[in-house]
Amino acid sequence: MSILTAEQQEIKKAAKEFVAKHIIPNAAEYDKTAEFHPFLLEAAKESKIFTMAIPKKYGGLGYEAVTQAVVVEEWGYGCAGMGTTLAAGVLGMDSLLIAGNEEQKQRYFDPILKGGIAAFALTEPGAGSDAAGVRTTAVRSGDEYIINGTKCFITNGGYASVYVILAKTDPSKGVKGISAFMVERGRPGFTIGETEHKLGIRSSNTVELLLKNVQVPAGNLIGKEGDGMKIAMMTLDMGRPMIAALAVGVAQRALDECVKYLHQRFPGKLQPGQTLQFKLADMQIQLEAARQTLHYTMNLRDSGLPYSKESAITKTLCGDVAMSVTTQAVSLMGSYAYTSEIAKLMRDAKIMQVYEGTNQIQRLVVSRAVLSPAPAVAAGQKAA
Amino acid sequence: MPKCLVCYKWTLDEKDIKIKPEDLSLDTSRAKGKISDFDRNAIEEATRIVEQHGGTVHALTYGTSAVSESLKDVLSRGPETIYWISDNSAETADACVTANVLAAAVRKLESYDLILCGEGSSDLFNQQTAARLAALLGLPCITYVEKLSVEGDTVRATRKLADCTEVATVKGPVVLSVLGTINKPRIPSLKQVLGAAKKPKKEIKIADLGLNAEQLHPKSIHKTVKGFVAKRKTIIYREANAAANVGKLTSSLAAEGLL
Amino acid sequence: MNFQLTEEQRLIEQSAHDFAKEYLDPVVEQLDHTGDFPKAIIKELANHDFLGLHLPADVGGAGAGFVSYVAVIESLSRSCAAVASIMNNQAMVSYAIQHWGTEAQKKQYVQALVKGETIGAFAIYEHGPTPGIGPDALAATKRDGGYVLKGTKAYVRNAGEAGVYVAFAITDSAEPNALTAFVVDAKATGLKVGPKLNTMGLRGCPVAHVTFDNVSVPETAVLGAVKSGREIATRVLTLASVAEAAQTVGIGQAALEHAALYAKQRVQFGKPVATLQAVQTLLAEAATDCYLARLGLRSAAQLIEDAKPFETEAAIVKSFLARLGSKILVDTCQVEGGMGYSEAMPLPRLFRDIAGTTLLDAPADFPDYAIAASIA
Repeated sequence: MSILTAEQQEIKKAAKEFVAKHIIPNAAEYDKTAEFHPFLLEAAKESKIFTMAIPKKYGGLGYEAVTQAVVVEEWGYGCAGMGTTLAAGVLGMDSLLIAGNEEQKQRYFDPILKGGIAAFALTEPGAGSDAAGVRTTAVRSGDEYIINGTKCFITNGGYASVYVILAKTDPSKGVKGISAFMVERGRPGFTIGETEHKLGIRSSNTVELLLKNVQVPAGNLIGKEGDGMKIAMMTLDMGRPMIAALAVGVAQRALDECVKYLHQRFPGKLQPGQTLQFKLADMQIQLEAARQTLHYTMNLRDSGLPYSKESAITKTLCGDVAMSVTTQAVSLMGSYAYTSEIAKLMRDAKIMQVYEGTNQIQRLVVSRAVLSPAPAVAAGQKAA
Repeated sequence: MPKCLVCYKWTLDEKDIKIKPEDLSLDTSRAKGKISDFDRNAIEEATRIVEQHGGTVHALTYGTSAVSESLKDVLSRGPETIYWISDNSAETADACVTANVLAAAVRKLESYDLILCGEGSSDLFNQQTAARLAALLGLPCITYVEKLSVEGDTVRATRKLADCTEVATVKGPVVLSVLGTINKPRIPSLKQVLGAAKKPKKEIKIADLGLNAEQLHPKSIHKTVKGFVAKRKTIIYREANAAANVGKLTSSLAAEGLL
Repeated sequence: MNFQLTEEQRLIEQSAHDFAKEYLDPVVEQLDHTGDFPKAIIKELANHDFLGLHLPADVGGAGAGFVSYVAVIESLSRSCAAVASIMNNQAMVSYAIQHWGTEAQKKQYVQALVKGETIGAFAIYEHGPTPGIGPDALAATKRDGGYVLKGTKAYVRNAGEAGVYVAFAITDSAEPNALTAFVVDAKATGLKVGPKLNTMGLRGCPVAHVTFDNVSVPETAVLGAVKSGREIATRVLTLASVAEAAQTVGIGQAALEHAALYAKQRVQFGKPVATLQAVQTLLAEAATDCYLARLGLRSAAQLIEDAKPFETEAAIVKSFLARLGSKILVDTCQVEGGMGYSEAMPLPRLFRDIAGTTLLDAPADFPDYAIAASIA
């Protein structure tokens, strides 16, 4: 973990308090009913945490990437479902940060600064891991684009004020024919479809978006036509560490609950033996390693250095660690875990290996980096 | 108290058969055996009749050495005795040979009131065995039986034909072939499964049936069997909008006479 | 050495498979939603002789061996592991009473359990670290030609539906390891079943805490000898762990088959994802784990059937699945991607179910220390 500055410590403390007050007491109930949590948006609006990714000059909190990761980890600690709502709200803005022009940024950030949330809509029934399989179309018509298509598994889709939607402007060009658009809720023809009932992160809103002849002004095109996939990939580079942070939070929670339970179960003299101690140690080791890759990745980003590969690494590691640690926790806590909120941690952890690019896709990104041509010989060294 | 005989075939379970993509030949190496589907219904029907009216159910089969796997399976489903004939000739036997063998065996056993078969086998579905068997035995034959009842010495069968149902009655011994819809075969209870071990399994040697070489020689020969894989046309309409695509689709369907 | 099921075992497995298709498949989703105890299905299990599978014919059982038993549990679990759980817990009680019970106890309960007229529950665990230790440990005090039971049993499966409980209590707080088993009728005054707990999976098999509030039982309620309850508990739980392993394998196999089917028809990158090595790896590892686990558990089951020592082998199977059981579902859900997370598909239910079958439910360093102790 990065050594946090005093200011970051304060922000972490505030995030912990926010989570303790609003998330932890409500997590189990909302998981059971799988209902969305508008109250959380109200609370988030007050503390302006949605604006943490919006630069100060636009009125946002403008936190550094490391700081954001610290905050998101606290959200994950409280509840991965509610944390996903908040984190995806941030993801929904990233595309604008990457490629929006000034006017677009003002227009898009405005509802968020007022307490709304955003959603990022790439996935379709035919475009999951194969993101290039996007079939939603955007046809230029005079001063507008007409968008038609279906998106699925869209987080926050039912509650967002603004969306980033990926659509094909040129079917003949494959991946290079995809463009990114900002679309405001309420445009005629834009409706919310089915809600997905999930194994975990149940209170997170996951829906279908149905676009039928939705007209958006040409000024809603983000970047240029054909930039869509590049923008999407850069957006995911930003978003993946946030998922990693949620995952770290979930894992930390599982470990903490485990320790709490064992203190209760083995009070006083009856201490757990080495087998159990070592299982706890392994959980801590995994968790620590995961968190460190996350913070390193965020350091790279804050330093303006490339971090795609590290983003994939940390998302993979943190997701797999969350799954492993929560499974181990359920195993150690036995029937108590199986009949309590601990089981929720295991259900929530599973999605960390899947969304924002499955861990298999992440491995493709990493392996490409590993197999790519040998780096140039450093100045002053003789070639081998 | 009817004396029933059920003739059944031990076939390969088609769900275990794989089609080799290179030449569409069949890989049956992992296929397990099963009682031919409609024969299972025949066994169930005979068992029900005897449960209702008293009497006996015997089973009879002719197949390759694989039939030894079928005996307890069949005995766990109601029959009290099983007669089995295992011979290499079964490998290439057609309905003609099968009927010859079964008829010869039946003549050696007792005289039965009802001889039941499945309407056709799971693998070939020739629908000939029952009729040929009846002809050889000089007995009446009722096929496509969907409902069966015994009233004293009268057998009443409802036949499900292509465009109607027909009720046939017959007094005296009869050969019947039944459809899958005649009943729902029960799941053998564990006691029935374990009880099968104690029931008599009697082998009939083909040499003792007094058949000549011609009677064991098939009149129809299978040359090859290939799997069938539906070839999709994989035509995708990629017009600018849905309406145009629908138009193209309906035109092509109409051109093929489907609309 | 024969690794194949015998003909009888195969036919029994086939009956279980056909039973599962006919009675379990149509209701499994609904059962998971409501968690209502499936009374009608338990009756059908009894009708098909599954509840008495392992018991001798003279008590109405089928007299089949333990290998058949685990084959049945696996087959049923492929369709509905919750029902297999009910059956396992039922068997623990009928086995215990048949093995250690007096003639009177056997007469009163075994046939009823075999016929499914009574449900049995095995009450061993407590809130304390091990049974017998802790403020609420179930204690039996001798009084008036009988005993008075006071304390709480935790996480009792089949609780609330059970007509009879086999409960383990200490008779002397100075000897917390000396447990005595009691056969207690569910209607006994003072026996209170707590609210049904919300289990992650295996819904339909009820789990609750059971409080004994000064429950009087006669001398004749003792099962086996006084203070020899631990021997009963250990044996029954070890047998149950092998049966539970069969549940794990059944669920894993079902998940594997569904994921494979999904992968063959899900097209991404222009071809079915089943052609991608990433997916092939996930499926292959799941298939490997199921295959090896099944071999291990059937081998242990054979030892049990042959009345040979089996505790180490049972612990090995338990240890293997504790490490890999959930992984099978983590990976098969992964094959289905986003759809593997949707409760509209069966994988999430299987994910929730399998975790319940690999819980150690024992000291957390068992089974490893038990295995090591057998070697060194």
